[in-house]
Amino acid sequence: MEEAKKNGLRLFKSAALVAAILASNITQAEMFNTGKVLATGGVSMIDGAGGGGITPWATITGYATRDGINGNLHYTYAPLANYTLHSLGAAVGFWDRFELSYTKSSLTTGSTFDTVGLVADTAGGATGQLAGMPINTGIEPFNTTIDMDIVGAKVRVFGEAIYDSDNLIPQVAIGGFYKKNKNEDLLKTLKASKAKDWEAYISATKIFFPINTLINITARYTAANQTGLVGFGGPGGDDKEIRPEISLAYLLRKDTVIGVEWAKHGDNLEGESVEIGGLNLTELQPTLDSLGLSNLSGTLTQHESDWFDAFIAYFPNKNLSMTFAYAMLGDITITPDQHGFYLSLQASF
Amino acid sequence: MKPIFRTIAIAILAGTAALPSFAQTGKTPTLPGLDDDALEQWGGEEGVRNWVESLFYYIMLDNRINHIFREFGNIERQIFLNTQLEQLVLGGNVNYQGASMAAAHADLGITVTQFNAVVEAAYNACERINVTYEACNQLIAALAPYERVIVTR
Repeated sequence: MEEAKKNGLRLFKSAALVAAILASNITQAEMFNTGKVLATGGVSMIDGAGGGGITPWATITGYATRDGINGNLHYTYAPLANYTLHSLGAAVGFWDRFELSYTKSSLTTGSTFDTVGLVADTAGGATGQLAGMPINTGIEPFNTTIDMDIVGAKVRVFGEAIYDSDNLIPQVAIGGFYKKNKNEDLLKTLKASKAKDWEAYISATKIFFPINTLINITARYTAANQTGLVGFGGPGGDDKEIRPEISLAYLLRKDTVIGVEWAKHGDNLEGESVEIGGLNLTELQPTLDSLGLSNLSGTLTQHESDWFDAFIAYFPNKNLSMTFAYAMLGDITITPDQHGFYLSLQASF
Repeated sequence: MKPIFRTIAIAILAGTAALPSFAQTGKTPTLPGLDDDALEQWGGEEGVRNWVESLFYYIMLDNRINHIFREFGNIERQIFLNTQLEQLVLGGNVNYQGASMAAAHADLGITVTQFNAVVEAAYNACERINVTYEACNQLIAALAPYERVIVTR
């Protein structure tokens, strides 16, 4: 234990030293670099990494070429039918080789879980009096927010997305996220297996100038439900699987890009109802039917759809990018047809 | 050695050897290929000459790169040779009289940042002379592979 503490302290000291050197170097003009051609750093995707809107690309975020370091802040706002997503984060690209990002996501769930919350409070009130135990669903009726912290890292492994116009070799990067969902009680109610988990991905990106097109293919190794907003895994376990994601972008002008994206989602919680105080509502279906509450159990069955979005990204200069998208996110937990607009702003240094 | 391995080895060697040698042979073999009428989209030699003059106008405005071109000297000759080269890579039937891109840039220590600055000047030049973005990307695609030999730092 003492050894581990000493090693940990030593690691922390060397990391602090590296950070101090970097910080003092960054203040010198040479490290700070904005040499990338406009728009070629991508934008910030929903988990904070550089890329498209919902999928990370093989490009390193920021405008720095391999000659320096550059960073950005992003804010994404998506008002969907039953949820509003806010995502705020920062990312830094180092020498066009390595990228780090940190994002805080917040999903206000409006009235979605009010039914469950009210049922639980009522049932909790009744059973609490019997068993002396309150039921904690993680739901505050009329006021539930899901918060998630995401740390991301990406390394460009090989390839050149822009200038290799005479071959088909893409730029390839591997990366990962560590996601921590703060609302553990709600996730238990929704029967997710974990509130904290990691994801890994590999992306291949390439621009084909003769057809003004950018193509990105990402394979993500994950067990996330709704990218982690509804936890990870489910009653069937928390094994990860490989899920494909594709972005197709058409370059309209040097500062304007339109495109579409698709991300495959999982089915860990597909068909699951909610769990309140250890009671699985799916199994209680017959009871609910006999009480005349069959609509309730049907409403409380979860689904998860693949995500699609169509976007237009505008880069007025190297300090700002604006992405407007229409997102078709399908079923999110117990609410169907979550379609809506999203707006993302990225401000670069 | 088994015939199949020999064939594969020759194919790989031929492939890698082909990379720098296309430099002065003509239309850049991009994937997907350049339009057949790429040079017409540019308005032939006149259009390309107009663009190169505009390109140098923007290069001279950019403090990140103007000193490099000024130190190299004889801007008029650079414009003349670039006009030939750009026509050549777009598929034009010209006789390029300059040095290869590798030789011309070998001792300059060009960085990616400086190369990108020229690409930005290229896009500005396209806009200035009202060449479409699509036509501009034909030329960018034709010149892009030279980045590997131009950038040496």
